[in-house]
Amino acid sequence: MKYAFFPGCVSKGGCPELYQSVMQVYPQLGIELEEMATASCTGAGVLQEKDLRLGDILNAHTLALAEQQGLPIMTICSTCQGVMSQANHRFTSNPEYLAEINTVLAEEGLTYRGTTRVKHFVWILIEDVGEQKIRQSVKHPLTGLRAAPFYGCYLQRPSEALGFDETPARAKSLETVIDLLGAEVVDFPGKTRCCGLPLLTINQPNSLKMVAHHTSDAKEYGADLMVTPCPLCHLNLDGLQSKAAKQNGMEIDLPILHLPQLLGLAMGMDPKALGLNRNLVSTGSVLDKIGVSQLLSKRS
Amino acid sequence: MPTTFRIKRFNPESESPQPYFQEYELETEQSDTVLDALIKIRESVDDSLTLRCSCRGAICGSCGMRINGHAALACKTKVVSLESPDGTVQVEPMNNMPVIKDLVTDMDGFWDKIRQVQPWLQPAGPKPEAEYIASPESMNHLTGVMGCIMCGACVSDCAALEVDHQFIGPAALAKAYRFVADPRDGASPSRLLALNTPGGMWDCTRCMECIEVCPKEVGAMDRIMDLRAKGIDQGMPSTCGSRHAEVFADLIEHKGRLDEPLLAMRTFGLKNIGQMLSFLPMTLRALVRGKLPRSGPLHRAIPGIDRIRRLFRHTRNLP
Amino acid sequence: MTTAYTFDILVLGAGLAGMRAALAAHEGGAKVAILTKVHPVRSHSNAAQGGINAALTDRGDTWEDHAFDTVKGSDFLGDQDAIEILAEEAGQDILALEHMGVIFNRNDEGRLGTRRFGGQKRARTFFVSDFTGQAILHVLYEQILKANLPVFEEWFATSVVRDNDGRCAGVVAFEIRSGQFAFVKAKAVIIAAGGLGRVFEPSTNAMICTGDGMAIAYRAGAPLMDMEMVQYHPTTLKGKGLLITEAARGEGAYLINGDGERFMEQYAPNMMELASRDVVSRAEQIEINEGRGINGCVLLDCRNLGKRLIQERLGQIFEEAKTFANIDLTEEPIPIRPGMHYNMGGIKTDVDGRCWDIQGKWEGVTGLFAAGETACLSLHGGNRLGANSLLDTVVFGRRAGACAAAYAQSVEEPRVSDSVSDKGQKMVQEFLKRKANTDTVAAIRLDLGTTMNKHLGVFRDLEGMEAAQAHLPALRDRWSRVAIQDKGQVFNTSLVQGLELSMMLDCAETIVLGALTRTESRGAHFRTDYIQRDDESWLKHILVYHNSKGLPRMDYLPVRITQWEPQVRVY
Repeated sequence: MKYAFFPGCVSKGGCPELYQSVMQVYPQLGIELEEMATASCTGAGVLQEKDLRLGDILNAHTLALAEQQGLPIMTICSTCQGVMSQANHRFTSNPEYLAEINTVLAEEGLTYRGTTRVKHFVWILIEDVGEQKIRQSVKHPLTGLRAAPFYGCYLQRPSEALGFDETPARAKSLETVIDLLGAEVVDFPGKTRCCGLPLLTINQPNSLKMVAHHTSDAKEYGADLMVTPCPLCHLNLDGLQSKAAKQNGMEIDLPILHLPQLLGLAMGMDPKALGLNRNLVSTGSVLDKIGVSQLLSKRS
Repeated sequence: MPTTFRIKRFNPESESPQPYFQEYELETEQSDTVLDALIKIRESVDDSLTLRCSCRGAICGSCGMRINGHAALACKTKVVSLESPDGTVQVEPMNNMPVIKDLVTDMDGFWDKIRQVQPWLQPAGPKPEAEYIASPESMNHLTGVMGCIMCGACVSDCAALEVDHQFIGPAALAKAYRFVADPRDGASPSRLLALNTPGGMWDCTRCMECIEVCPKEVGAMDRIMDLRAKGIDQGMPSTCGSRHAEVFADLIEHKGRLDEPLLAMRTFGLKNIGQMLSFLPMTLRALVRGKLPRSGPLHRAIPGIDRIRRLFRHTRNLP
Repeated sequence: MTTAYTFDILVLGAGLAGMRAALAAHEGGAKVAILTKVHPVRSHSNAAQGGINAALTDRGDTWEDHAFDTVKGSDFLGDQDAIEILAEEAGQDILALEHMGVIFNRNDEGRLGTRRFGGQKRARTFFVSDFTGQAILHVLYEQILKANLPVFEEWFATSVVRDNDGRCAGVVAFEIRSGQFAFVKAKAVIIAAGGLGRVFEPSTNAMICTGDGMAIAYRAGAPLMDMEMVQYHPTTLKGKGLLITEAARGEGAYLINGDGERFMEQYAPNMMELASRDVVSRAEQIEINEGRGINGCVLLDCRNLGKRLIQERLGQIFEEAKTFANIDLTEEPIPIRPGMHYNMGGIKTDVDGRCWDIQGKWEGVTGLFAAGETACLSLHGGNRLGANSLLDTVVFGRRAGACAAAYAQSVEEPRVSDSVSDKGQKMVQEFLKRKANTDTVAAIRLDLGTTMNKHLGVFRDLEGMEAAQAHLPALRDRWSRVAIQDKGQVFNTSLVQGLELSMMLDCAETIVLGALTRTESRGAHFRTDYIQRDDESWLKHILVYHNSKGLPRMDYLPVRITQWEPQVRVY
């Protein structure tokens, strides 16, 4: 199980704890990674607002690099995943378009044949690592912990580009993993909705309304925490939660965990090693609930 | 096996009008659509169950409703295609619009927004004697948006509309695109300008709900992105939205990856310094937690940036 | 409570004919409003897939060729003066639509492209993929928005009102959303309320196609003409009877029977699958009846067209086949069969949409106009050519609107008390008060539809038609007693369906009567007991007048022949 690892900008920028935690957990799962140092940002759907074809060329470049390595790509960001899946879908369903893109890559001595598979970490967990291996890696089942999944738009839509028809389990991958870790899934209406980040610089009140809406909703449905496979969602749901709460006259304080952070806790890892101290909404309540705080205090 | 249909009902003439769910059990056939099932219920159990429907073939756009939480045309949704753990199918009226009765919504607001985009061809010069000459590709391309049947599914599930009813919404924006992309229309600049305002094309949150639920593959959000690209191309006055896209592209060209603080600063610009300062508390907290991203000279370009820059240049040279 | 609105012209229905008429009337300076039981873009014009015919002279075509194809298609029952106008004015109306913004398919030079259609020697069908009706409908609605015309959306008309002189004075209608009745007063009313497909079950027609416009005009005294002429479309899906466009065959798809034979060779060696619809439907039905079908169907094979063409030009039926028949058109032939599609008959009008005759050869209602499928000029005679119906709506919608505007300027306001709407209100209240029994509107409608489909379908005979005629009074009786559960005022769709059923029963009566009377086979009306066309006795139209006290009254009008004498019809 070796992958070309595409960490994405945010795991090395605004959410370093994501990179940190994924580096902790992946060796436990039989995964090997080779980081793609020379791949560019996917454009995150933002560059694509200005020039879709330019975005596709950048992603074709990344896909071609992995194709050369003969490795599938692993992403840890819903947005990276979705943007690359969409580009890949355009290439594989329209050979003429791919040929046009390849004329640009050719100037760099590269070509993309359309064979690279791109998989988000959460899909790799259920499709490649498998239930048994995950269960084996769980040293500290998260029994009693109520986790609300929050996917991020790009990991849900458009379902055609994400391959949901062939692999329907992907649509529920996050719930599957939460369940395997021993935690309880809190199903709530917002789990596949938008976190609001793309609107943050354009219409801040609307963006924050989405944050307040989904986090408070999850809490009302009984969640102890929210878990997300998308660092961009995390930026908004965690980073701006207190601002959103204030704007909407609420108190929320719902811890938002990156998926590898939750996984690491179930593997019995040190919260600090997983970067939980870097989350802006305190994750103390989560650690209390699963009894990790007591363990830590005993150890010290 | 019978299917349970859990239908959200609302009778405005009841003594205390409140929406409620009512369940009906029904044997369905392999070929039955949700519309077939609803009609069976209406015809054989309860004729007060109210919905709009007409063509049965996904062309009139009457039977938009939410099925298992997502907007769809009832006539195009097979009952057997619905995956539901407990064997029930939940049917509700569309979201983001008032309910008149049961599954019938008030679409006046929907049409008001369509009207806002002046949805008629505004040709540039005088009419030609014969037809306008237009490329086959341009007309073929327009069949995509012209295929919109105004069913309201995209508006129902729009995340931006859910938090802000002032947003013009995906259907009206797709309709606007239909004219902006029409080579015969002469009003593109003013159309784009009108959409370059609060509540306009930049207020879409790019959640793709509209793409996913559209029964006609109009791809409203993709059309909104096309409008944004055309707006930027035509040199519309910049907005936080357009600057965000431009700066984003610029940063990738220079560093191969994002410089988040720089992106924010350049997007807001000096004019919106107040808005930027409002993020200060969060920034400080991030600083304390040791997660403030590096920026400027401290934030290095990726190895191999030269090739990325060349890719940008090659792309500029494309036709 | 009595509410009244006043306009010069009220257009009933907002499909292509209605909106085109309203625009023309507006351009003619009239104060015009539209009243429609569904939002304009929900109208059934949407469902027209394949295209719209016109002979453009700058393309080497001639309107005479188009007219002759239409005359021949009608099996020489069409009135040739009207057909000449249709063919001659087609070009200007296509261009007008293009100028309004319709995104017609283009050829490589960027000019309007054409495809082939049935019953015509040349490719003269202009199109937008395979959703031409929808593409035009939405553009006409754009023009309505531009002109800012008032539209009574989701209003149901229950009757046409006549003043003391017998002139049309408006309609009584109620707003479905509130249940409130109103009198909409107008000097002229243009009925463009579409067809009556739901009188048959199954049908390609939408559920709203219930013949309301025909029925209320008929009840008000306007004669219905050619009602026996009911078109069965050759390619409809089993089950609900959804339409698969003739454009598939126009683009080159084949029909094959269960033995894999292209059976049209036997029936129409020259035109093959593109013979006129009555001919192809009969051929299919014979194949099916004689055991060469598959489960009551024959097959439409689109595989030779290629994926790209199907995606670009037949995208809608591709989706339709996938969704409703679980078939990938590019890989598998699709089972189809003849299905009720269109009624050539309707409210008798002259070439300007007038439902009264200034020459006095037939009676009617002064001030009443009609256009589109509701109307009968007669343009389509015994069989309508594919892609002539959209053309009919825009040419004669425009003419009716223009004529109505001129008419409205020439007459005084009608003098009728506003309280005329109270009668409608009372009728509805009585309907709502009925005591429940075991019968339902849906059951009666289904009984009607299957009866009509069984006895008034592709092949007809005396015995079957008499059985249908004998059954109708029983259905009427059931209608007079049936009750609905929904007693509300707000959006009572059961009430609407109850009222529609009574309209359909009136329409059915005229269809059966006309069919029994016409003792010959012509166009879509094929009697196994009279298999020959009989020009001697039947080169004429049958008109049916409503009679509230007993059997309808019949009358006849000769076919108007200008330049084409009847001849043997082979394809």
